[in-house]
Amino acid sequence: MSEVTKDKTSQLLKKRGSISSVSSPDIKMKEIYGRTKDSVSTVSYADEPSHREDAPRPAVQMENTYQLGPSKCFPVNVVNHILKDVLTNYLQEEKYEPELCRQMTKTIAEVVKARVKDLMIPRYKLVVIIYIGPLENQSLHIGSRCLWDEASDTFSSFVFRNTSLFALATVYAVYLE
Amino acid sequence: MEEYQPHHDEIGFNADEAHNIVKECIDAILGGVDYNQNNVNQWTAAIVEQSLTHLVKLGKTYKYIVTCAVMQKSGSGLHTASSCFWDTTSDGTCTIRWENQTMNCIVNVFAIAIIL
Repeated sequence: MSEVTKDKTSQLLKKRGSISSVSSPDIKMKEIYGRTKDSVSTVSYADEPSHREDAPRPAVQMENTYQLGPSKCFPVNVVNHILKDVLTNYLQEEKYEPELCRQMTKTIAEVVKARVKDLMIPRYKLVVIIYIGPLENQSLHIGSRCLWDEASDTFSSFVFRNTSLFALATVYAVYLE
Repeated sequence: MEEYQPHHDEIGFNADEAHNIVKECIDAILGGVDYNQNNVNQWTAAIVEQSLTHLVKLGKTYKYIVTCAVMQKSGSGLHTASSCFWDTTSDGTCTIRWENQTMNCIVNVFAIAIIL
């Protein structure tokens, strides 16, 4: 019996160990959002190895709301304005540099997401995509297709250019049915 | 009207499956061709449409967003980042990078669950 409990505790300790080894922004986020029991905010980057601790959490069953559509429409124009604002403020004076732009894309993505979240449009999920690249004699095509409900879901995008770089920001808003 | 029962055995988005599906689509459309300004529009449209069709055939209750960027190889770089506000237990994303001698292709798939 004691061996079994020892194994369990060592397993638990191992799991906690893997969470604490995650880079510091994750821990900060968990502290800030720790008060709300159900929601955990995590930040993960594709160029850092991912820790899939979230996967074992069971999906939450939700009750019917009997709502057929969104009570408040997604304000495309306001979001367009936000994108224009953020991109211009962050990139107006910048020259293209690989390291700077790598950080910039991540920062701008987070900032745009935070500002659109602040609009507090209920029941909408957001996907924000940022592309930054140098203005040289290369050709680039970006296209997207979405399978969703035309009546409630929408997107908003903005292209920014200065003398040495271009930036494209797109926000997709998907209604939670 | 028939009742649609959601899959209870698989929780969350299966990124590997999506990766394979989209990679096959890209190989079929861009495999063996060189970058051509006139055709790029068709290629990006075909890639996103075919990927979407194949993803839908999986029969899962998801809304999909597929984006595709095709770039000529010219020594310049491209940075992309995405930030998503959703339910991490049910929704997911997958990015597929593909390249050949003359071009790079990046496809992003975002899947957002529909709760029935």
